[in-house]
Amino acid sequence: MAGESEVNPGWSLIDCDVHCVPLHADEIVSRLPAYFRTQGLVLPGGPGLPHPTGVRRVDARGPRGEPAGSLPEKMQEQLLDAYGVDFAVLIEAKLLTVGVHPDTHFGNEIARAHNDWLREKWLPADPRFLGSMLINPLDPVAAAAEIRRVAGSERIVQVVMTSATRIPLGDRIYWPIYEAACEAGLPVAVHPGAEGKGVAGQFTAGFPASYLEWHTNLSQNFMAQLTSLLCRGAMSQFPELRFVMVEGGFGWVPHLLWRLDKNWKGLRSTVPWLDRLPSEYVLERVRFTSQPVEEPPSSDQLLELLHMMQAERTLMFSSDYPHWDNDSPLRAFPRLPEEMKERIFWKNAAELYRL
Amino acid sequence: MKEKRTIHVCPAAELPPGSRKIIDAGDGRSIGVFNVHGNYYALRNLCPHAGAELCQGIVTGMNEPSAVGEFRWTREGEILRCPWHGWEFDILTGRSVFCPEKVRVATYETGVETFDAGVDEAGMVIVRI
Repeated sequence: MAGESEVNPGWSLIDCDVHCVPLHADEIVSRLPAYFRTQGLVLPGGPGLPHPTGVRRVDARGPRGEPAGSLPEKMQEQLLDAYGVDFAVLIEAKLLTVGVHPDTHFGNEIARAHNDWLREKWLPADPRFLGSMLINPLDPVAAAAEIRRVAGSERIVQVVMTSATRIPLGDRIYWPIYEAACEAGLPVAVHPGAEGKGVAGQFTAGFPASYLEWHTNLSQNFMAQLTSLLCRGAMSQFPELRFVMVEGGFGWVPHLLWRLDKNWKGLRSTVPWLDRLPSEYVLERVRFTSQPVEEPPSSDQLLELLHMMQAERTLMFSSDYPHWDNDSPLRAFPRLPEEMKERIFWKNAAELYRL
Repeated sequence: MKEKRTIHVCPAAELPPGSRKIIDAGDGRSIGVFNVHGNYYALRNLCPHAGAELCQGIVTGMNEPSAVGEFRWTREGEILRCPWHGWEFDILTGRSVFCPEKVRVATYETGVETFDAGVDEAGMVIVRI
C-alpha cells in the first residue's frame, strides 16, 4: 500500500495530523439546517492570547491569499507531493471548538455540517486524504448518533473531538461516544485548541497569560485526560476502545505512565476495574502523535525518551501542517533505528487505522 | 538447611482475633504475628518495596477486580496495607494483591504450644523460623 515517492524513495509516510479549514464560512453554513444558517458560524472566543504571527503559516496561503489549509491542491503540492506523504489524516482544528460551545444544538449541527463538507470536498480530492469525523462531546448521545451516521464512509478513519472539556474524558457521560466508536471500529482522537474557550475548564494552576504559556500548558491537559480515561474506567469498560492523543506532546508519557503504575500498586483499590498496570492499557490501545516534537539539547536524549515511551509501539508521526509549529518529516527526528523509524512513520498508524 | 527454631510470641489470650504482635526474632529480623479469624499468621516485618515496617500497617479488606463502577469489598481483616505506600498484602499467604507471583513478603509457620491443657487451654502462640 505504501506509495513510492520520488522525493523519498522507499519512504512510507503517514502524516497523522494535517489541518484542512473551510475556504470561507459558507462552506459550512450552507450545509446547516435553515434556522442555523441564519446564525452564521460563531465559535466560542479564545482566552485573548494571540500568536504573534498567526497560528497558520503565511507561506501556506493560496495564490489569492486563501487561508492556509483551505485549498486541497495547495496541500497536495506543499505537503503530500513535497514530502512523499502516502496518507494524510485530516483534522479540522477550528470547528473542533464547537465541542466547548454552550449551545449544544448548534454544536451538533456544526459537527454534522463539517462531516458532510469533509466527505464532499476533501476526501474525494485525493485518495491520500483520510478523514476524521468531528463530534460534539458536550452532547454524547447526539455524538454517538453522528458516529453511526458517518461510520462506514470511505476513508473516514477516526472520530475526533476537542481535548478541552468541562468534565474529564474518562467520565461515564462520554460512554455513548466510546460505545459507538467501538461499534464502528474507529479510534477516538482528541486535539487541542479549545482549551480555555467556551465552557472548557481552565488549566489547573489557573489562567495562562501569553500564547507561549497557554501552548506549553496544553500537555498538562492531555496528561489529565489520559489519567482520567484510565482511572475512571473508560479503557476497562470498552476493551476495543483505541485512543489517539494528537498534538499533546509526548515527553510526559514516561513520567505519567511510571507515576500511574507506581500509584496503582498502592491505590488500586480505588479503581478496581484497572486489573493490571495502567501503562499496559496505554501501550496496547493509546497512541500519541509526534508534533510538536520534543527538542532536547542532544538527539541522544530524544532517543532515550523514545525508548522510554516505547515509541516503536506508541508514537505516530504528524506534521501539523500548515500551522506555525509544524514539523518537517525530514527534520523532526534525528537518525532513528530503522525499525523504530518505520514504526513511527508508517506501521503504528497503518495498524491503528487498518490501512 | 538449618534446623528451625521456635520463638514464643505470647499467651494466646493476648493475641485475640484481629490483633497482632510484632516481635524481635533475635537475629535482626522483625516479625509480625497476626490473628485472623482465629488463625495465626506470621510475616516478615519488612516491606519488599521500600523497607518499611510492613506489619505496622492497617489490617483491612480489599476491593477485588470488578466492573467499572462496582466496588466489591471482600476479605475484611485479611489484608495488610503497608504504612508507607499502601501496597496490599494477603496476610494468609504473604503475597501482594497487585502482583502475587512476584511481589511477596516472607511468611513463617505458626502454632500454639500447650503446656498443660487442663490449666491453660489457649496455650502459647509460637512462630517457627
